[in-house]
Amino acid sequence: MAKTYDYLFKLLLIGDSGVGKTCVLFRFSEDAFNTTFISTIGIDFKIRTIDLDGKKIKLQIWDTAGQERFRTITTAYYRGAMGIMLVYDITNEKSFENIKNWIRNIEENASADVEKMLLGNKCELEDKRQVSKERGEQLAIEYGIKFIETSAKNSIRVEDAFFTLARDIKAKMEKKL
Amino acid sequence: MDGNNECSNKTETEPKHFEKEIEDGMNRRTIKCKYCQSVILTPGSGDYFERDFQLPLMKQKKEACPETECVSSFWVVKDMFTFQNVGFSNTVGTTKYLTCADCEAGPIGYHDLNTRISYVALNRVSHTN
Repeated sequence: MAKTYDYLFKLLLIGDSGVGKTCVLFRFSEDAFNTTFISTIGIDFKIRTIDLDGKKIKLQIWDTAGQERFRTITTAYYRGAMGIMLVYDITNEKSFENIKNWIRNIEENASADVEKMLLGNKCELEDKRQVSKERGEQLAIEYGIKFIETSAKNSIRVEDAFFTLARDIKAKMEKKL
Repeated sequence: MDGNNECSNKTETEPKHFEKEIEDGMNRRTIKCKYCQSVILTPGSGDYFERDFQLPLMKQKKEACPETECVSSFWVVKDMFTFQNVGFSNTVGTTKYLTCADCEAGPIGYHDLNTRISYVALNRVSHTN
């Protein structure tokens, strides 16, 4: 069968437990359909199709499947990953502080040229905020990566984040050709 | 929580009016999630196929033993990247269940890890133009 897409990108969502990585995987989180069956088993990965500058791109997005509870993720999980979305919860200071540990883990295990992006997620209300937007921006500058604050309730920005990451991977690949 | 065939409490609720959805053995229209309209497959990307499979119900009454129904009409997808948007559950035995990528409604079908073939249940999705 003919290939129906131009690029296939493997992306990982990485961050502490409970930062709403699952929320990031939703587009319409408020309509989330919590069936006992699927929510008990859990989601392994998702396939999404986006159009980027006239190219059809398949994104295979993996969640860390609870491995993050051990504060470390094995090399096997990183294999083939082209993009990593580092996720913290803006209402959880600890999850932000741990981003540095995650970046170290990525440097030790993932391919050196993996594209990274920092995502401050807001699954809850603004008045619970513990991490200012400026600190997120500052950390991103420190590591030379892009930054976005998203809200699962504001689905457009979540999509923006994936588009941005995909666009950067695509640009990097085309430069190599 | 494992196996599709261990529960005996199956129900047969599958309608048999899918003929109009098939064109040249494939799906004639776009396949979307019944609940949030997320696009799962574009026209002409799944092969119509009949086989009996005990698929767990989307809504479960109790967690002890998943209730299933016998589903027999599927769209077969051989390459998972044919899907526009879809979610794959963690593995149960040799099966991964398929869900909507957006609202996670499911199972809308299953994926056989031995053959790497995915099966989308016609009665778990909507067909629209």
